Amino acid sequence: MADAIPVHAKERLKGLRGSTHSSGVFTSDFSVNEFLLVRKAGFEPIGLCVGSCVYHVGIQYGSWNRNQELDVLSRAMYHARELAMTRMRAEASAMNADGIVGVKLTIKRLEWDDQLLEFIAIGTGVVHGDGHKGFRAHDGGPFTSDLSGQDFWCLLHAGYRPVEMVMGSCVYHVAHRGVLSGLGTVGRNVELENFTSAMYEAREIAIERMQVEASAAKAEGVVGVDIHEGSHGWKSHVIEFFAIGTAVLPLEQEIAPERIADPIMVLSVND
Amino acid sequence: MSLFDRFKGPGPESQAVQAANQQRQADIEASLRGNRVPAATRDRLEAARAGRLPWTATLAPAELMIARSHGLRPIASVSATCWLHYGRSWTEGHSEGWHTALRRLRNEARAAGANAVLDVKMRTIPLELQDSMDFTLVGTAVRVEGLPASDDPVVATVPALEFVKLLEADVVPTGIAVGAKYEWLTGWGNAARQDWMGNTESTLLSRFWETVRKGAHAELRRNAAPQGNGVLAHLNFSQMFEFEQNETKQYLGRHIVVATTVDGRRGQPVPHEVGMVVDMHGGSTPLAGRRPHHQSYAFNDEEGAL
Repeated sequence: MADAIPVHAKERLKGLRGSTHSSGVFTSDFSVNEFLLVRKAGFEPIGLCVGSCVYHVGIQYGSWNRNQELDVLSRAMYHARELAMTRMRAEASAMNADGIVGVKLTIKRLEWDDQLLEFIAIGTGVVHGDGHKGFRAHDGGPFTSDLSGQDFWCLLHAGYRPVEMVMGSCVYHVAHRGVLSGLGTVGRNVELENFTSAMYEAREIAIERMQVEASAAKAEGVVGVDIHEGSHGWKSHVIEFFAIGTAVLPLEQEIAPERIADPIMVLSVND
Repeated sequence: MSLFDRFKGPGPESQAVQAANQQRQADIEASLRGNRVPAATRDRLEAARAGRLPWTATLAPAELMIARSHGLRPIASVSATCWLHYGRSWTEGHSEGWHTALRRLRNEARAAGANAVLDVKMRTIPLELQDSMDFTLVGTAVRVEGLPASDDPVVATVPALEFVKLLEADVVPTGIAVGAKYEWLTGWGNAARQDWMGNTESTLLSRFWETVRKGAHAELRRNAAPQGNGVLAHLNFSQMFEFEQNETKQYLGRHIVVATTVDGRRGQPVPHEVGMVVDMHGGSTPLAGRRPHHQSYAFNDEEGAL
């Protein structure tokens, strides 16, 4: 393998520098493996795309004994994320990227104010190496996806391409139980039906919203869906259900199942 | 040594040791000030280069195997430190500190006759001495067989395996770029306060934040340009603080990005064959899902559950 080092790399190791690059400096937060795989998949990173939003979340109280969505909070959590993602995508469009890979969406509470949340979306803008525009989203803008470089490679080799990161949020108030209702259940196992149905409804709303986004993006499916529950410093009966995933479409030329390689099984003796 | 030996003056032997010590300290300081490798280190590196001393490497045997299979020979482990007091700016101190350390590491690599320093780790000793910290780099200087020593050795903050994978794809990791920026938001009265409002974006803080971050990224690109044509930014660090003075709020935002710079040609095909392998051993793989399938009993793992 000693001759595996290409000429250009050898020149640089000798201490010789090529002429300065005309294309400028690309920035990315890819790991080395992601970087290599994204390039292997035929794309080149061009720049980090970031969108952020500091958002003041309003106050809303649920009625003590009612299951209900807290729509003020739902809207806040959705709107703020959307602002951050839209800004990130605008940065990608400005650099003429075909898409954004490896988007990380994070929420941080600003320590001096309970109601101020900071939303950040960050990912690496990529272009197709051969200038193929068929990877763009349905509106001609860059695709977005929270898939890592590794997942991106796998997705393309499974015959799909990412279209848009889709999400749904539902902040829900789970009803408190009445004082008297506790008496009837002493010494018995009973289902707390209103709690169960609260979980059902909140989760359904979140998933449904995500799915609506996916169909608006004209996607065939959503991959890597993550449904998780979180509380952002709200009262104990308030919980956010958040569904997020990457909407996908088949490649122009779908890959026949028999042409998709099976993984090789190995047994490593690592710990 | 008897109890009374303490009251005797130091013997001639320990006096000589002390003198040698002082001299070495003086040499280190003078050398670093003059952008040179300290004499003792230089002697060691030159001896290792000529084969008069055994080579040293921070690499594990498996990494040594990868390095050797690609014609890389370790020469010596090299290191550099800059302990910096930040009198002016903590944020910008990070850029200064790492760059000074990087320059010193390159000097050591040159003295060792290396083509590259790989497996470079960025470290800080957890000694909290007032308003200062150290910026330390440690790595392994290597020679590429068949190539002359380099006047401008590359510094790779990636392990040996990733180093050779990048080389094969015609991408050379070359150094470290830092983008560090801080800014104050003042003079807005309390416009950023909105206790009484419902859902609304704090556009003032959003915009402020964007300015700080964009500044850091611009700095990062400027910083990277002389070293290569790209960066892999593995560290993004940001903080915002609120302060109150004379009943008005002020905000401090800071953003630091630390990146590995790379130099490569666009559109070069990546030569490695990539296939999927599943490790039947277990451990984390997306093929087994990323989240645990049993979360309901997780509390049992906590301390005291037995």
